[in-house]
Amino acid sequence: MDLVVTYGLNFAYSTATLGLIVLGLAVVFGLLGVMNMAHGEFVMLGAYSALTVQQAGLPFLLAIPLALIVCGALGWLMEWSVIRHLYRRPFDTFLATWGIAILMRKGVEVTFGREYQSVDQSLPGTVSLLGIDYPAYRLVLMAVIVVMFAALFVWYQRSNTGARIKAMVQNPDLAAAVGINTARLSRATFVTGVAIAGLAGVLLAPLVRVEPYMGLDYLLSSFFILVVGGLGTIEGLITGSSIIGGADVIISAIFDKTAGYLGVLAISILFLWLRPDGIFSRR
Amino acid sequence: MKRRDFIKSSLGAALVGALSGNAITSAFAAGPIKVGILIPLSGPAGLFGPSSQNCAQMAVDEINASGGILGRQIEPVYVDVGGPPADATQAALKLWKGEKAEAFIGMHDSAVRGALTNLFKGQVPYIYTPVYEGGECAAGTYVIGETPEQQLAPVIPWLAKEKGATKWYLIGNDYNWPRDTNAAAKGYIEASGGEVVGEEYLPFTADNFDSNLAKIKDTGANAVLITLVGGASVGFNRAFASFGLADSAIRLGTLIEENTLAGIGAENSKGLYSSAGYFASIDTPAATAFAEAYAAKFGADAAALNSLGESCYEGVLLLSALAGKAQSLSASDIDAIAEGTTYEGPRGQATMSNRHVAKDIYLAEADGTAFKVVQTFANVDPGNNCG
Repeated sequence: MDLVVTYGLNFAYSTATLGLIVLGLAVVFGLLGVMNMAHGEFVMLGAYSALTVQQAGLPFLLAIPLALIVCGALGWLMEWSVIRHLYRRPFDTFLATWGIAILMRKGVEVTFGREYQSVDQSLPGTVSLLGIDYPAYRLVLMAVIVVMFAALFVWYQRSNTGARIKAMVQNPDLAAAVGINTARLSRATFVTGVAIAGLAGVLLAPLVRVEPYMGLDYLLSSFFILVVGGLGTIEGLITGSSIIGGADVIISAIFDKTAGYLGVLAISILFLWLRPDGIFSRR
Repeated sequence: MKRRDFIKSSLGAALVGALSGNAITSAFAAGPIKVGILIPLSGPAGLFGPSSQNCAQMAVDEINASGGILGRQIEPVYVDVGGPPADATQAALKLWKGEKAEAFIGMHDSAVRGALTNLFKGQVPYIYTPVYEGGECAAGTYVIGETPEQQLAPVIPWLAKEKGATKWYLIGNDYNWPRDTNAAAKGYIEASGGEVVGEEYLPFTADNFDSNLAKIKDTGANAVLITLVGGASVGFNRAFASFGLADSAIRLGTLIEENTLAGIGAENSKGLYSSAGYFASIDTPAATAFAEAYAAKFGADAAALNSLGESCYEGVLLLSALAGKAQSLSASDIDAIAEGTTYEGPRGQATMSNRHVAKDIYLAEADGTAFKVVQTFANVDPGNNCG
């Protein structure tokens, strides 16, 4: 019974954190069609923001505004200098953002060094829940992610900006014709996407290894989730996260970690082959 | 040029080169000795490049200051072998035949070592320095890294007796070093009255360890032998402690050095032990002097000392000891006298035995993000690697 509860909570945790990681890419790739290969590097910058705040002896929560500012500013610069010239040229954005990703990794390596860093948990220890001990920070993190997604869902459905983004995504020319400044809206959307990636980095930093190459871990699984879930909807994002995360947790529990990884790859390939638009397609 | 002509003339050139080889070597005998130092400056192990290069350079400078090897100065040539074995072989071949390097010291993975022993075929002295799975016995090759026998034979019984480690869970990355280490571990665990309650191997890409931790908890293990490497070890150990498992089981790693421990973090390192031939915090006069000289030479911000980096220092010392005893740098002269050669380094005294070295092994317990040596096992035998 304890084992079932543990696996259940692990599944929920896995889904929530994957959803958090992929959210920024879902905005950038799902809405703007920009295949941002530097997505993981923005997560990494978020983690280093948490490290910087810790090294300065400041409270952990200050890392959130720091990461939003750093990633937002860098995202703005990246959109202005490179991305805006490459909209609707997916292969070119792919190469350009991969180059930027390398630059970001090397930049962090020069500043902080190649070595592993450790960000402390602000809530160490475990909490007894349904008969098992589960890490306190994870439980809080899951709650925060659920609230964040709910707020985002409501905002995207109800707000004017949400409606403008939807209009722009469906038909950019028509949206521009009815007076939507699509250039500015695209830039704002891109900056929001990478800032969310930075936020994910801050929140995950106490749980994961922190080093200049950590972003690569998050890139591949993010694309898998978008392939399975489909682009452009929050429902798709959550479904994709739970299928990818769930397959890994369940198959790893029954067999081993290698089988879990194979399962994730097999599911992604099957979706690309049989259902390339994913489960929830906006088309 | 026709292919056959090309082959003929190349063979001819090679023959002339081989015949005149001795004459050229003796004519330049007074010049410096080129030593190829093969270390990872890129790739996953690139983290250890800077400390390896610093340590090797320190040994070279010290030996050169006291007259060099056989009266000749050492000229180190650093080569990046962080890539695939084929690239490393190419670089080593160029250095050996093109630049006439007379000896090689390598701190890299076993795949590269296998390719290099095939290339050198015992014709040039080659010293392999990092911790590894054991079993290398090629002519002209000398190994100073820790073998699983050295790291585990004395340590597992000690942990059983002092820390009550009886139910072991073995977890590692999926390649030969973890598998061979665990194969050796099983024998020592049984001999110490313990049992193995689980064994698992993870792909290098693993970054979520929740299912493994659930299994470890379910088996009631009170000791975990960790042969995960680098980032996987960091991620696993962080998650292990966050689930509160550090209170119910001790952890023993055979490749948890100072960098990995820094990544694991102070709040996750309770009950974590590491077994190795070197720690930056070894408290012997030789090790302390070495650490002080390193800090003085490279400054406080230099790459932190660790067992892999320091092994390059030992590698240069061994080369000097072998050449001094043989009064030659030729591979066959050195091979004839290698057995029983001793040298003194930061690790203590080391004695060549079956192409490996018998040496002291330290068991350290993590104290925050530093290691504290809790037990020293003197002059541990490397085991039979030439069986």
